[in-house]
Amino acid sequence: MPAFLFWIFALVMLGFGAAVVINRNPIASALSLVLCFMGLSALFMSLDAFFIGIIQVLVYAGAVMVLFLFIIMLLDLRAETRRKMKVVAVVGGSAVALAFFIQVYSVIGQLSAAKQPFPPLSSPKMDDVHSVGLLLFSNYNLPFQIIGVLVLVATIGVIVLSKRELR
Amino acid sequence: MTIGAPTLEVEVLVIGLFVLMVEAFFERIDKRTLAFTAILGLAAVLIASFFLAPAPADVAMTGFWSFYTADPLAIFFKRFALVTTILVLVMMIDYAPTVRESIHGTTYQSGLGEFFALPIFTCVGLMWMASAIDFVMIFVSLELVTMSFYVLVSFTRRNPATLEAGVKYLILSALSTGFLVYGITWIFGVTGETNLARVAAALANPVIETGPALFGMVLVLVALGFKIAAVPFQMWVPDVYQGAPTPVTAFLSVGSKAAGFVVLLRVLQPFFMLPQMERLLTTIALLTLIYGNLAALPQSNLKRLLGYSSIAHAGYLLIGVVSFSGEAVSFYLVAYLLMTLLSFAVLIVVAKQTGENIEDFNGLAKRSPFLAFAMLIAMISLAGVPFTAGFLGKFFIFDAALRHHQTALVIVGVITVACGFYYYLKVVRAMYWEDSASDIAVPLSGLSRLTMAAMIAGIIFLGVYPQPVLNALNPPRETIPATASTSH
Repeated sequence: MPAFLFWIFALVMLGFGAAVVINRNPIASALSLVLCFMGLSALFMSLDAFFIGIIQVLVYAGAVMVLFLFIIMLLDLRAETRRKMKVVAVVGGSAVALAFFIQVYSVIGQLSAAKQPFPPLSSPKMDDVHSVGLLLFSNYNLPFQIIGVLVLVATIGVIVLSKRELR
Repeated sequence: MTIGAPTLEVEVLVIGLFVLMVEAFFERIDKRTLAFTAILGLAAVLIASFFLAPAPADVAMTGFWSFYTADPLAIFFKRFALVTTILVLVMMIDYAPTVRESIHGTTYQSGLGEFFALPIFTCVGLMWMASAIDFVMIFVSLELVTMSFYVLVSFTRRNPATLEAGVKYLILSALSTGFLVYGITWIFGVTGETNLARVAAALANPVIETGPALFGMVLVLVALGFKIAAVPFQMWVPDVYQGAPTPVTAFLSVGSKAAGFVVLLRVLQPFFMLPQMERLLTTIALLTLIYGNLAALPQSNLKRLLGYSSIAHAGYLLIGVVSFSGEAVSFYLVAYLLMTLLSFAVLIVVAKQTGENIEDFNGLAKRSPFLAFAMLIAMISLAGVPFTAGFLGKFFIFDAALRHHQTALVIVGVITVACGFYYYLKVVRAMYWEDSASDIAVPLSGLSRLTMAAMIAGIIFLGVYPQPVLNALNPPRETIPATASTSH
């Protein structure tokens, strides 16, 4: 993928990512998040990770965000009332974020691999979905099973916490 | 007859599913039977853990065994998780009336079944965490534990304080998970491995750049610091500890913390050789010690006090980690389990009658001498009075630190111990020297009395004769350099 496409998608991601936080209207925030995911998905595609890119759109932008929007609409959330910004919190937060950014920047600057061009991938013997599935059910079987238990716990939790109270 | 170590988790999982199914299909039974069943089942698994077949001797770290280890440290912390869960379930039976008040369902006891079932799944997660030697495995088992804690913390959601605790825990925990994943990707990106042993091997290779890997490790440390409540990742502790249902608070402060420390010991292994890591950990340990102990001084709510004390104990445990002493850390965690769970058990029973503040304990010695004595033992052990497990725990930690020439840590540690005496003995003073408003004895069930007596006996026994716990970790493991063999 040409470099300028990377920059476009990265900027889309960053811009809408910031919009998620800045917007006071929850629906606008949620829609910004969808566009942010789209940018992310495009970046995955540019790394030849087509499966993850598509899943990103299908699962996150599709299912999860639709659920989000439904909840927001059903709850009839109004725009968030404008909070008073505390100077200390803003300065402290920005300082932490800045320090983190500088840290990441300097680490990447030192990384010799970051200076090399992206190596061409060997042509795959089978398609993405096939290889992901094969790894998941053979090599990573144990973590996969644990995720099964995790989903069970999450299901119980959702039922317990959202059960309607009679009375 | 022997069984393989991985079957232990499966057994616990089956118990959890069984409890869940019974809860789902038999509405009319007394839900406390479920808790008793679970306790018996977990006790059976605990006994079974003493008849384990030896793990296959490092046969090629492939497939299943590249994720899972059954070394003595893992087995030890599996038992630790089981004991914790059993004791928490006993507390939950005492706490059941409060949960019932908070959840109004179709039937008299609705919601209790899930309340008893979730800790069992947490226990499975803790046991997997104890065995995890691969970042992927660490991540999924950690998430299993965290996910069940999200639910448990906000279980009595009609209480606004609980709801606040639940939301805080959810958001901050999710943030820390983000750091964990980001850190793991950095380490994976640099070394190309997720298995801890292979990461260590890759880092020994001079071609690999350690800088980015170290950066990843620091991010992982942020996430684990959140789990073990180390400063500066302790902000959530006081509010969450105070707001969560008390047995869940006890579970959080013991189970979650212990699992965090096991993982910490394991993931630090490949990075021990780097001097930056040691400096960083020393700083965190110092901050945690000072903050936890000083912030605990003015507290008047006992649950909050125990929250700050849990931060302080994380500091002592971190001294053990900095000194690379797996044994000292393990013994301290056992002592911490006994004394923390004992104080929470007494707190639950007393809070049902009066309240959670320290002044609600006024004159407890006259009303209920046994409960007051149990609390006394828990407090002096937390403070570190000789002939209690808490004292020996601190002794081993400081001993290990001195061997590693961590003099600064020991000096700060000893000063903060003196600090601890003040706030722990404040509770003792309330119980023995203050007058009580009422003189009605606090009702105590037979099972709780038995459990408390067992914990008191455990604290004093280990305070005099620590050998059983130390032996459980022998033969010396290879994963952690066991330098601090204790002098006995």
